[in-house]
Amino acid sequence: MSDKLHKNPVVVEHARAALETFRSHSKSLGYATILTTDGFEVASIAGDAQQTRRVASMASSMQALGDAVARDLKMGTCDYIIIAAPSGYVIQLRVPGYDLVIAAHFDSAETLGKALSVARLAANDMAQVSVAAAAA
Amino acid sequence: MAEHVILFAGPMCAGKTTAIRSLSEIETISTEAANTDRETADKDTTTVALDYGEITIGDEDKVRLYGLPGQRRFDFMWRILMERAVGLVLLVNNDAADPLGQLAEFLEEFAELHERGGIVVGITRADIAEGPSLGDYAQTIAKSTSGAIIPVFTVDARDGNHMQTCLLSLIANIESRAALAYQQEQAA
Ligand SMILES: Nc1nc2c(ncn2[C@@H]2O[C@H](COP(=O)(O)OP(=O)(O)O)[C@@H](O)[C@H]2O)c(=O)[nH]1
Ligand SMILES: [Mg+2]
Repeated sequence: MSDKLHKNPVVVEHARAALETFRSHSKSLGYATILTTDGFEVASIAGDAQQTRRVASMASSMQALGDAVARDLKMGTCDYIIIAAPSGYVIQLRVPGYDLVIAAHFDSAETLGKALSVARLAANDMAQVSVAAAAA
Repeated sequence: MAEHVILFAGPMCAGKTTAIRSLSEIETISTEAANTDRETADKDTTTVALDYGEITIGDEDKVRLYGLPGQRRFDFMWRILMERAVGLVLLVNNDAADPLGQLAEFLEEFAELHERGGIVVGITRADIAEGPSLGDYAQTIAKSTSGAIIPVFTVDARDGNHMQTCLLSLIANIESRAALAYQQEQAA
């Protein structure tokens, strides 16, 4: 099922649409990327191509490190990760049911709670994609 | 000598994750994700951040083993981990599309570790594919490093004894070089 999600046109199209909706939910959203858990970019909004590709690789490493820590502490799998910095933050979370992650950069105007809730909406939106339909 | 940090690098499927599992005396930390790039390597999962294991050499020397992701898109992890390392076990799978090219590429990428400590090359999966000979590999090493002393072995990453031989030769190399540098410092 996880074979080449980033090259599946139905998945890529769905990811683009989910990211556009995501953008309409928060003015503080800088850029956002949907990536495979092994670090391939599926779709992005804003950010230059090189940057979003790099972020996709880094986000997959972060997610896996988060999982490694959670596993070590017997907490289950890592749901989301927040990186906070003076001028904003990055939130990344898993797309339920898929080997996909969404990573989003917000400026500090957004509250963390709001950012997390719109990011979760976007992840759930992405999870509506039907890969079975894409393959058929 | 106290604590060594040794990296395991090389292309996807070279056996880095497997080697650390064979060597480690603690439960390894791994960061495997579902592999969507079956063209490059036909396996279920791939390392996306690092592998981590530990082994004690002799009475008390603890060696920290870090495995890297093989794909260049993760080269930021190479940089991060290279900063703390003194040596490199460079694994190349004999059944790769272009093992000699891969070897040259990784030697160049990690040349800094040769200057700082040492490198050893392990050729894996030689049992399943007839690739270049050890002589070919040695020649590639000589060409890409202008005559540096980098030993090359055929190893099976699944075999703890093979990997220990490889690791011990690297550590002996690093320690003798450190001792030599120390002597030269004293003489100066
Ligand atoms: N037949 C054979 N298989 C090996 C050898 N070394 C490693 N493998 C296998 O090669 C596969 C790739 O190993 P892995 O550790 O995931 O590679 P990595 O991408 O470098 O981390 C695993 O299935 C190993 O069991 C070897 O010398 N011979
Ligand atoms: Mg690996």
